[in-house]
Amino acid sequence: MPSTLERLAVPQHADESILNRGRRQELLTKAFESRSGRERPGQFWKIDLDGLDFSALDVAPPSTPQIKAPNKPGVIACDLATAARKHPQLFARAFGSAAGALNTKFATLATALCNTGAFIYVPADQAVDDPIEITYTVENGALFPYTLVLLDRGAHCTIIERLEGRTGDTVCGIAEISGGENSSVTYASEQNLPAETQAFFTRVAAPGKDASVTWCLAELGAALAVTSVDVAIDNPGVQAQLNGFFFPRDNQHVDLLSTIRHNVGESQSQTLIKSAATGRGQARYLGNIRIAPHAQGTQASLRDDALLLSPHAHIDSVPALEIGANDVKAFHGATIGALDENVIFYMESRGITRAAAEKMIALGFFEPVIERFPTEALRSRLRSALEDKIA
Amino acid sequence: MSERGLRIQELRASAGGTSILKGINLAVEPGRVHALMGPNGSGKSTLAFSLTGHPGFKVESGSVTLDGLDLLAISPDKRAKAGLFLSFQYPAAIPGVKVANFLFAARQALHPGDLPPAKFRALLLEKMDLLDMDPSFMGRYLNDGFSGGEKKRLEMLQLAMLSPKYAVLDETDSGLDVDALRAVGESVNAMRASEAGKETGFLIITHYPRILQYVKPDVVHVMIDGRIVKEGDAELAQRIEREGYDTIREEIAQIA
Repeated sequence: MPSTLERLAVPQHADESILNRGRRQELLTKAFESRSGRERPGQFWKIDLDGLDFSALDVAPPSTPQIKAPNKPGVIACDLATAARKHPQLFARAFGSAAGALNTKFATLATALCNTGAFIYVPADQAVDDPIEITYTVENGALFPYTLVLLDRGAHCTIIERLEGRTGDTVCGIAEISGGENSSVTYASEQNLPAETQAFFTRVAAPGKDASVTWCLAELGAALAVTSVDVAIDNPGVQAQLNGFFFPRDNQHVDLLSTIRHNVGESQSQTLIKSAATGRGQARYLGNIRIAPHAQGTQASLRDDALLLSPHAHIDSVPALEIGANDVKAFHGATIGALDENVIFYMESRGITRAAAEKMIALGFFEPVIERFPTEALRSRLRSALEDKIA
Repeated sequence: MSERGLRIQELRASAGGTSILKGINLAVEPGRVHALMGPNGSGKSTLAFSLTGHPGFKVESGSVTLDGLDLLAISPDKRAKAGLFLSFQYPAAIPGVKVANFLFAARQALHPGDLPPAKFRALLLEKMDLLDMDPSFMGRYLNDGFSGGEKKRLEMLQLAMLSPKYAVLDETDSGLDVDALRAVGESVNAMRASEAGKETGFLIITHYPRILQYVKPDVVHVMIDGRIVKEGDAELAQRIEREGYDTIREEIAQIA
């Protein structure tokens, strides 16, 4: 019987315009040799990410995501293979531009087995105000989506990625953003995968001078959702924002690792994470802010709040600030707690039932982060998804 | 036939195993203003929380009826539905829940379907104007980052929006500046003058009588050490203002 590595090796239907076979094989071997970089902190965290068994993986044939984009001069919004064939120079500029951050187990696996993807390009000084929507649907086997975003100088766009599924196959994907000088991009992900899915995402961004990049991550579905976000700030004037929330219930696990690297000074980052858990839901947030020596004038804040709605739920929150420079403003705040009885009583005294009060408090808990997501349509979808999860 | 009024009889209550209320007898009549005065620690807030059903306070014995309904047998939200309102001394903050949404949920809970959202909004703006509150308040998170005065105004806004049958105001005057105090007083008076509020009975809890200059009480009850020790008219409040509680303590000591 062939090993998983042999079985997955050189997918028959891999698209060579994206990546040639040799390179795919190399990356695949590397994925199986690499470790996830995530430790198991204790008895509560039952999933060993290094011990995951991929032997049952059945890689879906190549497919194209559904892409909805406003018609603007010079803007390209197409599937990844088409971009690789039709716009090879733009593709080459963007693909692997954040290679260092893609050197991990799940990112190499996603690259090696990539079978779907989207390419978004916004030319210089073009502003795309209406959101570009990319929908990935899992249906014929494991999906390895790669979303590649390239913004030239002064370009602006908002991207909403929707992850859905008809089957519970594994999803392992990448979103890679490279932003030119003074560009700005908001990338929101609405992860609504089926309850049995295991999902692994690597999200990386390399913003140029005075550029801004905002991640908005809503982890709603999947049995296991593992995400790494890495923003490398190598240019001054960058503004990076990470907004995220998750709400594992039943037996869901969510694991989010974020790393904001202030490699140069005069840059800003804001991180806001809200996590609640109910049932036997488990979540872990590892939030890193690294300020390099000489990165003077950096302003970084990290705030994460956790709300436990059941005695069997568990949330680990591990914020870490590594500050190498001495002229910086760095703020970090974390809270963890259960529902406050005084608040519930206050609401009950206004005629609101205990159940309704708990629901309002829990929804309110997420509201500050939901308000940072783009478009009213997305925000109201997220609110109703949370309402359904609480019910 | 049941008797109207918020009627408290021989109420004994404790907190954390310590007996605080030692047999309270008090009746708040519809349309009347009752002041409950007493020094700090006399048990006034315990009475407010026992009436509304705070889980931190245990009623040991006695009865409380609201227009004949046994309040002690029902949950806090049902007490509110029966027509009881408490203005909190320290209102809770609820981040992420906007003032307008919270008030709409409360109004819906107490008076289901009586106001469509547009009419609700108009009424809310009208009542906010009366309290000198900026319309931007509606979009703020409930009590989150509010100043002391803003919190108390919001309690009065809720009182006006929820039209209870009986309202207990627990130290609504504490920590207020003169302008805020006047706004609170005017809001209560406006409510009493309105069709919806003319039958509302008030129990205004305070340990000093500043607020009573704005809202004139019909009856003043004095509470010391978990008991109502003296009752009188508005003149009694003025006497307390002049002499403090010591002379009342001495009177009781002589009787005992």
